[in-house]
Amino acid sequence: MTRAFRPYPFAAARHDAVLPPLRDGVDARRRAVVVVGAGPVGYCTALGLARHGVPVVLVEADEGVCFGSRAICISRRSLEIIERLGALPGFLATGLPWTGGRSYYRDAEVLRFTMPQDENQKLPPMINLAQYSIEHLLLQQAEARRGLIDIRWQTRVTAIDAREDGVRLTLATPQGGYAIDADWVVAADGGRSFVRESLGLQLKGTSYEGRYVIVDILMDSARPTERLAYFDPPCNPGSTVLVHKQPGGVWRIDYQLRDGEDPDAAIRPENVEPRVASLLAMMGETADWSPIWTGIYKANALTLERYRHGRVLLAGDAAHLLPIFGVRGANSGIDDADNLAWKLAFVVRGLASERLLDSYSEERVAAAHENLSHGTKSTEFMAPPSFAFRLMREAVLGLAVKHVGVRSLINPRQTSAIAYRGSRLNTAAEASASLDAGPAPGTVLPECPLTVVRDGSARSGHVTDLLAAGFTAFFFGDGAAVPAPLRDLQRRLADEGVPFALVPIGRRPGPMVAGVQARDASGRLFPMYGADTGTLYLVRPDGHVAARWRQADADAVHTAVHHVLQAPGGAGASDE
Amino acid sequence: MNDTDLDTVYTRLCTTMTAVGEAEANLFLARFALLAMTRLGDREAVEALIDAAAEGIGAGCSQAP
Repeated sequence: MTRAFRPYPFAAARHDAVLPPLRDGVDARRRAVVVVGAGPVGYCTALGLARHGVPVVLVEADEGVCFGSRAICISRRSLEIIERLGALPGFLATGLPWTGGRSYYRDAEVLRFTMPQDENQKLPPMINLAQYSIEHLLLQQAEARRGLIDIRWQTRVTAIDAREDGVRLTLATPQGGYAIDADWVVAADGGRSFVRESLGLQLKGTSYEGRYVIVDILMDSARPTERLAYFDPPCNPGSTVLVHKQPGGVWRIDYQLRDGEDPDAAIRPENVEPRVASLLAMMGETADWSPIWTGIYKANALTLERYRHGRVLLAGDAAHLLPIFGVRGANSGIDDADNLAWKLAFVVRGLASERLLDSYSEERVAAAHENLSHGTKSTEFMAPPSFAFRLMREAVLGLAVKHVGVRSLINPRQTSAIAYRGSRLNTAAEASASLDAGPAPGTVLPECPLTVVRDGSARSGHVTDLLAAGFTAFFFGDGAAVPAPLRDLQRRLADEGVPFALVPIGRRPGPMVAGVQARDASGRLFPMYGADTGTLYLVRPDGHVAARWRQADADAVHTAVHHVLQAPGGAGASDE
Repeated sequence: MNDTDLDTVYTRLCTTMTAVGEAEANLFLARFALLAMTRLGDREAVEALIDAAAEGIGAGCSQAP
C-alpha cells in the first residue's frame, strides 16, 4: 500500500496558441528578436530586452509554466538581476531565504557552512523557490510588459533557417503552422535544445554515471531553511541524501541510487516511499507527508565552445549543462540572460557593433568554464565517478569529525558571482591598478549600504540601487559639485544617444542635483571601493565594472564607453 | 596551502589513483604515505598522523558495535 500523491500547492494557468496576422503563411511583421523557450532564461532575456525598449516575441512549446521539481535555489546575484527586471518583490515574498547548511557523515555532523552574508548586503545569499514559481513570477512581469513582450504559447519550433541577414523559424501550433522572420534569435530552449541540435552544435565535457532520485513531498515542519546533506546516513546506508525546504510546505529530497540499482524501478512509489519514510524518521520529523513528484537525475558538465552562431545566440541549458550540485543551472542561465539582453538591445537599437555579441559568447563561455570547474568538484564529491573518489571521500568524511583541516573538501561550493577578468570590454587597466581596493574591471559591484537621494528626497539604500538601465558612472566626491568636464561628458553622450547616467557619491551631503545621487552615510563605501575625491567607476548595464580611475578624466571615460560599444578585438569571425 | 590548493591536490590524488587502477591503489597510497613521511621529516608528527589515520577504523575501531 503506497501513499496517495497530492498536487503541488500551485495551479498553473493554461494559455492557448494564438496565430498572428499572416501573409503567405509568414508572420506579417518581421521581428527584431525572437526568444525560443519561456523558462527562467527566456523570460529574463525577454524582460531584459523590454527594459531597453526592444520588442520581443517569446515562443514556448508548452501551454504554461513548467511542472515538477527543477531549479529550486536562486542566488543573490540572480536576485540582483531579477530586481532590475522588476520582479524582486514577488521572489522575496514567496521564496525562503537561507544562509548556510550542515553536512552529516553517518550520525555525526562534519560540516557547518555559511555563504557570504554580512551587514553590507541588501539581498540574502540564496532563496529557495520552485521553478514553477520562478517562471510564474517572471511571467507576471512579462504580462505587465505586454506592449513589448508577445508570448506565443503552444508554439513549437520545427525548423530553423539561419542566414547571414536573418533567421526564419518554422513554427507549429494546434491552430496550424506558420513561419516568422527575425533579425536575431535567442535559443533558451533548454537542455534538449531543438535550436542547438538543428544547428548541429555539440555540447562537450563530461557526463557522470551516478544517478539521483528527486522526490518532492508535502509536509508541515517548522525546521529552518538550510541545505542538509547526509552522507552514508543510518536511514539509507551507502547513499547520499540532500534535503531542501521549499515554500508552501514542499520539501525537496535528492538521494543517490545505490550501485547497480535500476533507475526505472527506483522511482516507483513503492521503492521511494520507504526511503523517504526512513529519512524523515532519522530527521525526527513526525508529521504526516505525501509524495508530489518523483524524477531521476544524472549529472552533466557540458558546454558549447561558442554561444554566438551568426544571428543565433544560445543561453542557459541550451548552451551549457551544469551539474545540479552547487545550484549553478538556472543561476548561470539567468546570468547569461543578463549579459545578453543589454548587448542585443544595444545592437538592435544601432548603438553598438555586432562585435558586442561576441563578447557575450566569450564572457559567458569563460563563466561556464568556471562554473563547470566548481560544479565538477561538487559532483565528484556528491556522485563519486570512480573507486578512488569514493575511497577518498570516505576518508575525508571519517576524518572530518575530528580534523577541521579536511572539512573544506565537503563544502558544497555554492554558486557565486563571476568576474569577467579577461573580457575585451575592460579598459584602462593601468588606471584601475592605481586603486588599492574595490572591484576591478569585469567584476560585479560589492554591495554596501548608503543613502540614495532621488530628485532631492533621501532614503536608505544600497550601491546596486544606483544602477541605471544604461551605463552608470559613480563619481566619488567630497560633496562638492560634479566637475564641468564630467557634466560636459554627460551632454556629449546624451547627444550621441548613449544611455548614460552620472551618479555623484559624496562623503558629505552635497548640492542637490536632478536625478540620482548618493551619500556614503556609513563611511564604508569609499574605503571598500578604494575611492578618493575624484574617483570614477564606469559600470555596464549588467552591473559589471568596465573601467575605473582614481582620478576621473572625462575623455578617458568617453573612450571607455565607446570601447564597450565597439567591442574591438577577438578573432572576428563569430561563425564556423 | 589554502582551501583551493587542498581541493586541487585532492582531485589530483583522486584522478591519479583512478588512472593507477583499483588493483594497485593500495600500493599507490602506501608509496604516497612513504614519500609524505620522508618529506615531512618529523618522527613525532608522522607517528601522530599514523595514529589519527587509524583511529575509528579497522579492528581498533573504538566505535565498533
